[in-house]
Amino acid sequence: MISLSDIRKTYITGDAELPVLKGINLSIESGDFLALMGPSGSGKSTLMNIIGCLDRPTAGTYMLLDRDISKASEEELAMIRRDRIGFIFQAFNLIGRISVLKNVELPMMLKGLPRDERKSRALKLLESVGVSHRADFSPQNISGGERQRVAIARALANNPEIIIADEPTGNLDLKSTEEVMEILSGLNREGRTIIMVTHNPEITKYCNRVIRMRDGRILDQSSVEQS
Amino acid sequence: MKLYDILDLISIGFKADRFKTLMSSLGIIIGVMAIVVMLSVGEGIYSGVSSQFSTLDLDIIHVIPGRFSFGGPPARSPEEPAKFTDKDTKLLENIPGVKNVAPQTSAGVIVSFRDKNASATLIGIDPEKEHDLKSKISQGRFLTESDHTSIVIGSGVANGLFRMKISPGNRVRVYYEDGHMDFRVVGVLREEESSGIRAGNINTQMYVTHKAMKELLGRENYYYGTFQVTVDDPESVDEVVDRIKLDLERYHKDEAYDATTARDMLSSLMSILSMIKYALAGIGAISLVVGGIGIANVMMLTVKERVREIGVMKALGATTRDIRLQYLLEAGLLGVVSSIIGIALGIAVSFAIGSLAGLPSAIKIQSMLIGMLFGALSTIVAGVYPANRAAMLDPIEALRSE
Repeated sequence: MISLSDIRKTYITGDAELPVLKGINLSIESGDFLALMGPSGSGKSTLMNIIGCLDRPTAGTYMLLDRDISKASEEELAMIRRDRIGFIFQAFNLIGRISVLKNVELPMMLKGLPRDERKSRALKLLESVGVSHRADFSPQNISGGERQRVAIARALANNPEIIIADEPTGNLDLKSTEEVMEILSGLNREGRTIIMVTHNPEITKYCNRVIRMRDGRILDQSSVEQS
Repeated sequence: MKLYDILDLISIGFKADRFKTLMSSLGIIIGVMAIVVMLSVGEGIYSGVSSQFSTLDLDIIHVIPGRFSFGGPPARSPEEPAKFTDKDTKLLENIPGVKNVAPQTSAGVIVSFRDKNASATLIGIDPEKEHDLKSKISQGRFLTESDHTSIVIGSGVANGLFRMKISPGNRVRVYYEDGHMDFRVVGVLREEESSGIRAGNINTQMYVTHKAMKELLGRENYYYGTFQVTVDDPESVDEVVDRIKLDLERYHKDEAYDATTARDMLSSLMSILSMIKYALAGIGAISLVVGGIGIANVMMLTVKERVREIGVMKALGATTRDIRLQYLLEAGLLGVVSSIIGIALGIAVSFAIGSLAGLPSAIKIQSMLIGMLFGALSTIVAGVYPANRAAMLDPIEALRSE
């Protein structure tokens, strides 16, 4: 599903070159629940941005769903993000000036779905993550756990195969963390591929693979037997 | 992304920040208002003036002492104003193409009727030459050459100047400086639409013969104040004007005089009108530029405020085109709404000016459309840069921002 071969990313600031990814080889199978770990500065965010089509590698080949993404245009990347990838962020990144419901509708708006279809799907998604009673609230007026569940509903709006979660539980308490991980785990069981950056070793128990990074390279990979 | 969805998102933003929205629109509102007022009032003045000039005879030349100037202070010249006499009348009459020469001398006087005083304009005329005035008699008769103590009055003098109506047969006393003379009213002129431009308001004037005028003024040397020269053919009026100027040189070498036509007055009036129009247009243009800068400024702030939101939108799959369109439309919508408000205010102000100045109001649909066009245009131009800034944001950088 995802295959990265010799992916490199180098930032150039003035005359100095700063290599962040130094040759990543990784393949992710459909249905994987993968945890990406490593100290800050190890390049895991950069790698995730590349996998999420927000960024392009300096060198290497990135095949996503049998397409060579390294050569895709900006426009095509936006389409892939919209239709194939759902993002979940540590800071939730809901848009504060519009309602919870509208936030979930946003990706469908971008796709151009008709209003009624959008609304009923958004409500269904909110219900599936247990926050349909917050549909007309402003995201600013609901709890952190609720926000992240709304964000998950939004990530699912266009029914993507891949979900990218950047420290999804980093801002949550223990109870919300478990709730959110249960939801993600459920999505994984439905067959969605999840790639998650985390610092919390506790939650890797939900994953089937853990990848550790250091200094722009993959340190080791381990498969976790799912209980 | 569909257009109405973008508009939906934008309107949510506007509602959330009404005060900022209103403040950012003020410049455009004022600019559009100025344009609508300019076009409407300009049109009003124009149609008012041209309706007055349509009644103006194009076959008449005014010959005056001094230099002609209209709308500004009287033109100063080093020469003495020309002293017109019967010699000039003869000279003018002998110019080919001239049909009639009517010399007039006017003075501001006090008129007294049954112990009540009022001021009026008295004009000395040659009754034989004033065919036009003669045809405007509504009561009584016109003056004759031999009338010495008879007076013909305008309808305003007859009906409005005193509490009592003055009719033919009544006597009035006319004061000028230290002297005075008694006159018997022999005729009243018909009420005329004020021609505004030509020789004051005919309704408030009174007419006597030059003989009587000379006696009243009590001057040793009596000069004519103006000649109204009528030409045979209105087409030839400019040639006759040139000829008059040339021929008068003979008697008035070092004196100032001028010959003007209704068309001269029209064109100088029109140049004043266009100056007013340009001034209003300038105000409109400046406010639109300032308004546009205001909008650009507010849009830049909005984009700055929403960097993170824009990053999120991009992560969710918004293309640069989606974002650019959203912010261009946001500016454009601001422009359209401001323009509508500006047009409404402009109409109100035009009506107010129109009724204060007594001009016909001429608010045309074109004026509103032009106002709308300029308002929307300047906001969209103002929105281009901020919208591009928003569209070009790097999603990763944007998501990282606080």
